[in-house]
Formats: sequence, structure tokens, C-alpha cells
Amino acid sequence: MNHAGEILSTDGVMSKVPTDIRTIAWAGGSDAPEKPNLTIGFIPLTDCASIVMAHELGLDKKYGLTLRFSKEPSWAAVRDKLMLGELDAAHALYGLIYGAHLGIGSAKRDMAILMGLNHNGQAITFSNQLRDKGVTTGELLRNLIKAEQRKYTFAHTFPTGTHAMWLNYWLAAHDINPLNDVRNIVIPPPQMVANLRSGNVDGCCVGEPWNARAIFDEVGFTATTTQAIWKNHPEKVLGTTREFIEKYPNTTRALMRAVLDASRHVDTLANRLKVSNIIASKPYVNTPDPVIEGRMMGIYEDGLGRTWQDPDCLKFYDDGQVNFPFYSHGAWFLTQFRRWGLLKQDIDYLAVATQVNQIPLYTEVAKSMGVPVPDSTVKMETFFDGMVFDPAKSSDYAMGFKIHAR
Amino acid sequence: MKQVLIIDDARDRAAWLKASLELAGFAVRWLSWEQVDEHSIQAASADVIIVDANAPGRDTLEQINLMSATLEKPVVVLGAQMDPRSIQEAMRAGVSAYVAHAIQGEDLKSIIHVAAARFAEHKRLRDELREAKTQLADRKTVDRAKGILMADHGYSEQDAYARMRSMAMSKGKRLAEIAEAIIMAKELGA
Repeated sequence: MNHAGEILSTDGVMSKVPTDIRTIAWAGGSDAPEKPNLTIGFIPLTDCASIVMAHELGLDKKYGLTLRFSKEPSWAAVRDKLMLGELDAAHALYGLIYGAHLGIGSAKRDMAILMGLNHNGQAITFSNQLRDKGVTTGELLRNLIKAEQRKYTFAHTFPTGTHAMWLNYWLAAHDINPLNDVRNIVIPPPQMVANLRSGNVDGCCVGEPWNARAIFDEVGFTATTTQAIWKNHPEKVLGTTREFIEKYPNTTRALMRAVLDASRHVDTLANRLKVSNIIASKPYVNTPDPVIEGRMMGIYEDGLGRTWQDPDCLKFYDDGQVNFPFYSHGAWFLTQFRRWGLLKQDIDYLAVATQVNQIPLYTEVAKSMGVPVPDSTVKMETFFDGMVFDPAKSSDYAMGFKIHAR
Repeated sequence: MKQVLIIDDARDRAAWLKASLELAGFAVRWLSWEQVDEHSIQAASADVIIVDANAPGRDTLEQINLMSATLEKPVVVLGAQMDPRSIQEAMRAGVSAYVAHAIQGEDLKSIIHVAAARFAEHKRLRDELREAKTQLADRKTVDRAKGILMADHGYSEQDAYARMRSMAMSKGKRLAEIAEAIIMAKELGA
């Protein structure tokens, strides 16, 4: 699937990187990190596991770093602190990095995605009030919305974030305009369950453990997982600024190595119970263990009586597929920004993705660790409604949706 | 006089800030985070919004500001541990405006004015860029339509342009819209 030829193959990209940059890590005869003490931002969610474990397993030390974590109150704080250099890197929503890079809703700063942190593992939860009206699926929700005068409220977590895009995509695929047919708001993840309980929101798209917690607290049920919308979708990334990479090339590589090592560890199901216990603790997610453990192990229940073992649960490594920052993934988020009016003009989607996603750097690090790297930097994607995203036709794709807000 | 909206759950802190800003000549309203939605933000009709850096509700406000063109406002973010250097850095970077809580009314006054001015400047540049890009796209569309008319009907470039122009005027539409219709008609026939 190598549409655009050499430039989009990983080998092609590497050959474009000047030799002096490729070897800058050894400039001055040392690859020791220039800045050994790093502050890493995160939001209390199950998918912060790999960055947390990079420290808990001592992998930061192994590569000459000491990671300190800063639990952030909001995604806006993560973004601002990255821009200000108060955070060196962060567990970030994929789209947040692109929003900051383009200056959507904030200052504009050259941003960088070093690698993917996870695939899958988010969900759309409906309130039990909806269940009591017999509304358990997207089709039934559409019927309800067309039949009733009142506006139902759906929440996600950040305007340019992943949950906004999953929720909007899913509602629109059910012929519900996410910006006109419902109230479309943002609620901080730890407050989602309380808002479902009070009836302030009727449904939400959020990361785990909050969907599992809604079932645990008996206030809602899982209408769909996000892996059922787009199997193996990108989700959180290790984000930083372009400036950081340029200023601290050795540190950047050491950080990537530590997190890649941790990703391998966390991906092994046999390790996940222990990992769940660690990230459930107070400094990290701060929630009862069982709420994290189940879905972390791929054991799902939807809160309506169905249980299943999900082979597409949270993935942190998957032979490096999770961590490779495909340009096409970045381009997809940009097409959705265009679709929902966050971008007012067409842009060169893949060109922006090549500015943000650090594939040459990632490829160098991955190869040095024996982590498999795919042959192509782009790939086609198929969604649950049958729509296909071909990154070579990003512009047509962005403009081709029946429901949009351009 | 600028209208300032403070969003803060810490009642004492908000009251102190409100009094201090009123002394500096601002009209001030206060909301708790629970009260924040598109209606309350609209009703406050603020020129500047002040929030605490550690408020989880900041993301809620971002969505309201971003999804509504009319509610887009400069946000001044108050943080507890901001030192003067990082405040300066924040202002330089154009990140809202990070300001220490302990700062006094008069200083806050100038910060609010700077934040509002920076925001207006940022918005103006962005609008200009958007306008320039639209104009460029329009010109490309018009050129393409002109090409179609010349190839299919044998008009000269001048005639093709004149015909599109007169149709735009008689239909009360933009030239680019007429050009788009010509391109679409061509694609339909192709």
C-alpha cells in the first residue's frame, strides 16, 4: 500500500535525514542525555500505563534518565505546560498535539509526536436513564432524538481530542449531527460518572477506567467500545515540542527507549494485573483496582448483561504497531478537524503529519532496539460503517461526509 | 471599562480577586465551575475570562470558546507557583496568560490589558490569513472555470470572465460560486 512512493516508505524517509542529524546523538563522543531529570505530564487514565511503568520498572535509570510525573488537572494544562516547557513531554491525546501545532484554540507552537502510547480501550457510555427509555444502541438513540423535542447532552474530553472525534464519528454514522442534534460538551474524565448519575449528561465518550467505573457505580452502560468503531485506532501519544527534540536529542532518544521498553512489558497480558495494581494507586489513577483490572485484561462486560473477552482491548506495543507514528493517523485527525469546522480551509494533510510525527527519529530508535518497523509510513483504514480512509485522498475524504460542520 | 469574568470554586479567593479588580476599575462577574455552560458564558459577555490553572473545568471552557465563534475570549490563567520569569515566558509564548495568584490589582490590570491586546492581535492575524487563503482558493476556482468555458465554448479569456461576472451580478452570487457551479456542471457531464 505504498501510495506516494519512496518518500512514504520508512527507508525513503530515513534516507532524507541528513547524516549529521542521524548521528547527532553521538556528537562530542557521548550519547549521554543532556537533561537527565525529566517532568512528564499525564492525566489519570488507564492508558498512562506505559509511561508510568517506564519509571516503576526502573527503565528510565537504565537509559540514564529520572522521570518525575506531574498529574495534570486538564488537557489544556498539559498543552500549555508543554508549550511553556514546564513539562518535558506528556501522555497526550493524539489530536491535542495537532491542535497545538496548528494553533486551534491556543497559541501555535511546533509540536512533535515521538511515538504512539496505545491503541483502543476507550468507550461510549450511555446513562441508565437512557437504558430505562429502552435506548441501548445508536439506532435507538437516533429514533429517540428524532421523536423528542428536548436536546440530549453528550460529553467528551477536549475539543481537538480523540474522544471528540470518536463520539462525533459514531453519532454521525448513526445519522445524528453531533453539533446540532445533541448538546456537545466537555467534562473532565474524573467527573463523567457523577454527571451521568445526576442526569447532566446522557452519554459520554471517555477513556478507561471511567466507562468501567460507570458500570461499577451502576449509573451507565457501554454502548460501544472505540475499538468497535475503528479497530486498532491510535489514541494517546508521547508528545513534546519540536524545540525539545532539537535541544535535547540524546534525552529524547533515551526517553523513547525507556517508554518503548515499558510498552513491551505492559503489552504482555501476564504482566497486566501487576501493572493495573500500580497505576490504580493514589499517585496515578487513584481508583479501586477492580475497575482498572477487568478491561486492562480484555475482560469486558457492557453493563447490560453481555460479557466477552476482547482481543482488541488496550494495546501498548503489538510488535511495535502501536508505537510507530504513522503519518496517515495524523492525517486522519486533520481530516476530522476539517470535517467538524476546527480547520476552516483544506490543508495538505500528509505534509502537516510529516512535520509532527517523528518517523525518522522513531525508526532509528526502534531499529536499534530490535523493535519491528512497518514498511510503509501510511496505511488505509476501515471504519465500522464501512467507510475507508485512503491517506492519499485525504482531501476528498475530509470533504466527503454527509454530516459535517464546515 | 472591560468586563471580566472570574470562574473559580474557591469563594474567598474569587471574592478577593473581584474586589481587587473592581478597585482597578473593571466590571466583574463571578461563576462557579458548576454554573459554566454556553448560556452562562454568553450572558456574562466578558472581554476577559480569569480561571485557576488547576481547575479541571478548563477543558469545558475550551470547548465552549472554540465551538462558538462569538464566545472566543482571551483567558487569563492564574497559577499558584508561577514565578515572574515563567509569567514572562508565558506571555511571550502567547499561552493565554499565566499569572501568579498573589499578584495585586494594579499589576493584574496591566496583565489583563496585555492579554486582551495579544488575543485581539492573534485573532486579527488568523482572520487575515484565513481571508488570504480563501481569496487564493477563489482565484484558482475562477481560473479553472474560465478554462472550461474557453475550451468548451471557444470564448476568449476576457469573454469567459465577463460572462461569469455578469451572471454573478444578475444572480447576486459571488464570482467563485458561479465558477464552482460551472466546474460541477462540467464534472457531471464528464
